[in-house]
Parts: sequence; C-alpha cells; structure tokens
Amino acid sequence: MTLPTRILSRLLLAPLLVLAVAMLVKGYTDVGDGFAAGVLAAIGFVLQDIAFGHREAEALLPVRWAYRLALGGLALALAVAIAPMLAGEAILTHHPEPGVSAVKVGTLELITPVLFDVGVCLLVLGTVVSGLHLLAEAGQEDQVAS
Amino acid sequence: MRSSISLRTSLGLARQTERLVPRAEALLALGLSVLAFGALLFAWSVGGFEVDLPWAPTLDLRLAFTLDGLGALYALLASGVGIAVFAYSIRYLPLHLAHMKRPARDGRSFYALLVLFMVSMIGLATAQDLVVIFVCFDLTAVCSYFLIGFERAQAEARWAALMALLVTGVTAVLLLLAAVLLYAELGTFSVPELARRAEPGWTLTVAGVLIAVAALAKSAQVPFHFWLRRAMVAPTPISAYLHSAAMVAAGVLVLGRLYPLLAPTSALLDGLVVIGFASALVGGMLALAEDRLKPILAYSTVSQYGYVVALYGLGGAAGATAAALYVLTHGIAKSTLFLIAGAVTEATGGEDSIQRLGGLWRSMPVLAGVSLVAVATIGALPLTLGFFADELFFKAALAHSPVVVLIALAVATLTFVYMFRFWSGLFLGPARAEASPLAPGLVVPPALLALVLLVGGVAIGPFEELAEAAGQASIGAPAPVEAAYHLDLRATNVLALATFALGGVGLWLEPRLRPVVSGITNLGARLGPERLYTLGLRGLNRLSDRVHDIEVRDLRTRVAGVILPSAGLLLLGAFVTPWAGRYNVGEISLDDAGLVAGLVAVAAAAVATTRPKEHLGLALSLSGAGFALAAVYALLGAPDVALVAVLVEITLSLLFFVTLARLPAGVLSREAGLRLPRGRRVRDTLFASAAGLSAFFVVWSVTSAPNPESPVAPELIARTDDAHAKDVVTAILADFRALDTLGEITVLAVSLVALTTLLRRRPA
Repeated sequence: MTLPTRILSRLLLAPLLVLAVAMLVKGYTDVGDGFAAGVLAAIGFVLQDIAFGHREAEALLPVRWAYRLALGGLALALAVAIAPMLAGEAILTHHPEPGVSAVKVGTLELITPVLFDVGVCLLVLGTVVSGLHLLAEAGQEDQVAS
Repeated sequence: MRSSISLRTSLGLARQTERLVPRAEALLALGLSVLAFGALLFAWSVGGFEVDLPWAPTLDLRLAFTLDGLGALYALLASGVGIAVFAYSIRYLPLHLAHMKRPARDGRSFYALLVLFMVSMIGLATAQDLVVIFVCFDLTAVCSYFLIGFERAQAEARWAALMALLVTGVTAVLLLLAAVLLYAELGTFSVPELARRAEPGWTLTVAGVLIAVAALAKSAQVPFHFWLRRAMVAPTPISAYLHSAAMVAAGVLVLGRLYPLLAPTSALLDGLVVIGFASALVGGMLALAEDRLKPILAYSTVSQYGYVVALYGLGGAAGATAAALYVLTHGIAKSTLFLIAGAVTEATGGEDSIQRLGGLWRSMPVLAGVSLVAVATIGALPLTLGFFADELFFKAALAHSPVVVLIALAVATLTFVYMFRFWSGLFLGPARAEASPLAPGLVVPPALLALVLLVGGVAIGPFEELAEAAGQASIGAPAPVEAAYHLDLRATNVLALATFALGGVGLWLEPRLRPVVSGITNLGARLGPERLYTLGLRGLNRLSDRVHDIEVRDLRTRVAGVILPSAGLLLLGAFVTPWAGRYNVGEISLDDAGLVAGLVAVAAAAVATTRPKEHLGLALSLSGAGFALAAVYALLGAPDVALVAVLVEITLSLLFFVTLARLPAGVLSREAGLRLPRGRRVRDTLFASAAGLSAFFVVWSVTSAPNPESPVAPELIARTDDAHAKDVVTAILADFRALDTLGEITVLAVSLVALTTLLRRRPA
C-alpha cells in the first residue's frame, strides 16, 4: 500500500478505538450501541491489516486473539442471559430491575444490559477482525503460491 | 503381499512386547464402565430404581427411567461387555492406530463415542417414555455412524457408516411416528400407561408395524441385514461392542419393551416369527458361505437375533423369557468371539480368512480354549449358558406347533455347523499362518467373558432370575423359567441331541455342499436388498445433483432463483391488495430537498452499478449506493439506523476489497474482459427489472397508506426511562428484545467458526 494510506491507517487506529469505547459507554443515553462500537473498533484493526499486510498487522496487534475474543463475547452474553435462570427467573432478566436506582458512573448506569452489550461488542469486534484477517491471509498465501 | 504381511508381523511383535502405558482416556472409559456396571448391579440387587422427572410438561414428555428386569438385563449386558471391550482396547487401540498411521490422540474420540454409546444404551434399556426411547435409539444410531466410520480416510468405512446410519436412522423415524400415533389415540407417551390403555384396533396395528420395522432394521434382520456385514470395517472393539451386545440388541430391546403394544395384533407376531426364522436361516447360510472372520460373526449375529425376534413372535411367557436369556447369552458369547477374531488377526499380521488360517491351537492354546467356550455357547453345548438358552428356545417352539419345531431344529443345526466351522478353521488343521505371541491385554478380556459363560452353564441361577424378571417386564405377568439339566429324554433334550447329531453330520457334509451354499448366497448378493439400497442411493444422489445443477449453476442463476419468485409473489400481493388509497403521489415541500437529493443519489449510484466492467469499480459503486442510503436514513431522523448502515457499508466494502485481493490479478482482468452472450444479457436485464419493479410497487403501496398506530412503539418508548436508558434503540437491543439479539449474535459466532474451519483446513 502507498505511504499516505499507511500513515492514515496508523493515525486512524487510536481515534477509532476511542470512539468505539465512547459509543459503548454512551450507548444507553445516545446514538450507538455494542454492535456499532464493535464494528467501529474492528474497522480500525482491519485498516491496519489492509494497509500493512497480515504479517505486519499480526506482529503489531493481537489479531490472533480475535477469534477467542469473539467466542468470549458470546460466552459473556450467554452468561448474562442464563445467570437469571439459575436463580429461577426468566431468561435475560436484567438487574437492577426497572425503576430501582442503579450505581452511576458519569452517564453510564451500571446495569446488566450493559454487560450484555459489552458481550455483543466483543463478539462483533472479534468476528469482523478474525473473519477479514483470515480472508486476507488466505488471499496473500494464494498469491505467493501462484 | 507375503512380504508386507511378514513385515507387519514383525512390527506387531515389536510393538506388542514393548511396555505400554495406558492413556488417560482409556482408563477413564474403563472406570466409567466399571462404575456403571457396579452401580446397576447394586441398584438391581436392592430392587431397581425409578426416576420420573418432568422434561417438557406442556408436551407431556417425562424423563422416566425404571430399572426393571428388562432394563437391568440390557443395561448390565451393555455395561458388562463394555468393561471387557474397554479393557481390551487399552492394548488393541494403540496397535490399531499405529497400523493405520494415525496419532494416538485419535483414540479420544473413540472412547468418547463408545462411552456415549454405552450411556445411551443404558438410557434406552431403562427408558419408559416413548419419546425418550426414540431419542436414545437415535443416539445409538448417531454414535454408531461415527464409530463405524472411525477410519474416516477409507471410502469403504464412510460408505458403511452412511449405510448403517441410513438403514437404522431412517427406520428409527418410524418409531417416532408410532409414538405420535399412539399419543394421538391414547394421550400418553408413557409405556406402562400405554400398555394399560392399549386396545386392539387399527391404530395399534399400524403403530405396532412401525415399531417392528424400526426394531428389525436396528437388529439387522432380513431384509435390512446387509448393513451389518458392511459395518465390519469398524475396528474390532467397536464391532465387539456394537454388533454383538449393544447396537443390534437395541432393536430387540424395543420389541421386548413395547411387547404389550405388539401382542394384541396376532398377525404382527406371526410376521415376527417369519422374519425371525428367515433371518436365522439367511444369516446362517451367509455365515456358512463366508470365509473372513468378522463377516462370519456378523452374519451369525443376524442369525442369532433372528432367534430372538422369532421368540418374541412366538410370544407368551415362554417366548419372552427365552428371548431375554438368548440376548444375554449371545451378547456375551459374540463379543468374546469378536475380541478373539481381533486378537488372531493382530497376532498373524492382518490375516482374517479361515482359508488362510488354521492350526492356531498350538501357538495360542488359551485363546483356542476361550473361543471354544464361546463357540460351544452359541452352538448350545451343555456346561455353557447357551445350552439353557436353547432349551428355552425349544420349549417355546414346542409350545407353538410342529412346523416351528422343525424350523427351530434346522436353524439350531445350521448354527452348530457354521460355528464349529469357524472354530476348526481357526484352530484345527495344518498351521497356515505364523502367529506372534499375544499380549495378555488381548487375551484376558475375552477369557473373562468366557468365564461368565461357563459359570452360567453350571450355576444358571442369577441368569435365570434376570431372564424371569425381563420376561415379566415384557408381558406384564409372572414368567417362571425352569432351566436345569435333566438326565432324561424329555422333548427339549431330544431336540438338543438331534441338533448335535445333525450338526456333526452337517460338519462332515459341509465341504461337499459348499458350491450349493455359495451359489445361493451369490444369487442373494446379486438380487438382494443391498442392491436395492445402492440403486436407491445412487438415484437419490443423481436427482440431488440435477436439482443442484439447475439451482446453483452460477451466481447469476442462483440470484435469479431467489429474486424472480419473490418478485412474482410480491407483485401478486401488491396486485390483489385493494388499490383504494394506494399508489398516491404526495406533496413534496422545500424541507424535503435534502431527502430528495439523497434518494436521487441512491438511484444514481444504483444505475451506476450497471456500468463498470472491472470489479473494484463495481464494488465502489455498490457501496456508494449504500452510503447514499445511509444519508437518507439520517435525514429521515433515524440516526441509529444511519450509523449502523454506514458501519455495515464500510465493513462490506472492506470485505469486498479483501476478497478481490484474494483472487489472482489475471483472473479478475480476464473476467472483466468477458462479454456475456446476448441472450443471457437480455435475460438478466429482464429478471433484474422485474425484481426492481416489484420492489418499487410494493414500497410505493406501503408508503402511500398512513401508518397504522402501533400500540407497541409508544409503550416501548415510555418504558425506556424505567429500564435505565435514554436511547430506545439500545434498550430494545439489549433489554426488551435481547433474546432476538442473543440469537443473532449466536448465528454470527457460528458463522465465524464455520469460516475459520473452512479457511484454516486448506491442503498444504
């Protein structure tokens, strides 16, 4: 890739990640949610993959962990879903219950849906990064082989 | 060929004499089987158990398990033989995997599947709910698919595994059908309850036939017997377990368990007698014509389960108890013989034909003695458990009719002949193959099983009790068994003596009758049901290929196959919906200028996608359309949707770029230079226009009608604040409809796993 592309990709990574975290945290009061945050962060990583090639991206970033991150996200979401069932409640019952006040950090209220959203975010991030990285990797190997 | 055999022999010798540390999974499996056997034995000695838990109460399904006589017999058989098989595998499996050049860790799936099989077999033995019975029945079929196909690199093994799955799995569906039929009529899935409510009639007859077909296919009865012969490609411990005491026993177990539902239809019982004796004769003939060890045993299994099926058909207390004792006796003896066949093949470096084996009693006297016990058991000689089994068999036949007695005598004689032909072919006569010494790990397990047979031949007591209890569970009334040695000329003794005498004559005549026997079996192979199966499967494959070719020949056909029918349906829907109030052209104010500009941009981008020849341009114009659409959403006041649209569009574009980068540059430029034939271009244009027009009319029709007030949306918005949220979209995704989200992200994760598997598993 050309030099400007590389510089731009590298410059964009940190802001994209910050934006993603903001979107996740602000999701409950403003536009955005776990899905959008996950995709946004993933775009940051995939840009590196495209600009620098999969080998360098691997050396630079923990791309290899994306697969595990995705499954971990799913596990987190499933845990949030199933945990209430152990207490005899319906699946995906969230806490604190509606109307009961929750601990606040800034605008973010600490409630279990946020945890669920984090799971969604991690899953989406991991899936997009891992999937596109795999495709890029396979493509480059093909070209080396041909 | 000769040299390769001797090489394998020496390798086998080297491996057999080296010390071997059992792998953890082997010990775990062995421990589990010992635990299961011990627990079952204890539970049975204190009078059995009963578990009844709700499973799906709204569907009337219960996890009902009872350890009654029938359950105890089959569960003890499955776990007891399991102990021997697992113990044998500790030594056998490493040798087998080394022969096949497979890593030792492949043994894990072997043990895992066998343990799962054992558990489903114990579940099936004790299950009292028809649906639970079906589930366990099918679980055994699924496990057997993977076990028979254990050597998945061999086409033969895959074919055999598929055959076993299709024959036993497709027929198993009939069992479910019968369950639903009975539920519709009698309102319960519980077997004891069904037995109480069952009244002779059409429903019961049809359900009975369905159950019987499922059971007969599982027990490899004529005309389904062919799958068992093919299944012999499985490693020996698997055959020893599945094809003697477990998988094939599942069929007759279902007959025994559901006997009260079959008994009211006397024609069905007669059918069982016919099929049972036919299988016994056909299996016996095929065993006599066969030369290879495991196939002989497989056909013998067909024949022996034929006895059991016939006994259930003969019915009553005599039939049910004799069937139970027969299953027990045969299961132990046959698995012993399979283990011995495996040991002999191992010791002789892969030799498995009695034509090329012989005289092995000199080099392996212990094995010869052990297998003599097992052979004598199936041949029903005194001092073995088999004598009593045949005594009960003859008793049940005598209670029926003289014709049945004659057939029973013929079947027993045939069994005697092929069983001793098997034994003498292996151990008597001149030594044709050299045998290396065997590890004790391959001799002790079958020896222990044979010991059980001998103990049963002297002290029938516990086996008799088990058979009595099993018979009682089948017929629902006390079923006394009187099995003992009587030194007089009662009818059963005369029949036994006649069997031995005729068997002796048969053994003498056998070499002279060989051409006749093999002529008959060759005819069967050419015209038999296996051929029908093969033809049927090939036909289905061809049909599926045709449909596949039509539907997914290339991407354009595939897309056309989806959009054209849906366009037709949508247009039809738009046409038949009342036209009044639809297809209005509203007013456009100056405030909408941005929206109109956005829509124009979308339309322009859509038209632009038809122009570019090269792929990158096409991808860019496609995403241009997507971004313009995202802008329209933003202008419509749906920022969340706009955000997602932008993000998805970026990701899709990246996906396009990465995928295009995958393709070699030459391919892309060549493809870009291609021109479709004129007819195809016209056709594609027509299809695309039709799809676009239908979408246009439907959207127009929907948007021109005023939006009906949905009571849900305001409610959701009102509750958002309560749910600790300010943004209703997030609240819906993570809270109100989180179950949908959970389903969606699960799909996403599954597709990631699939993608990873596909891309990682590329040939190096």
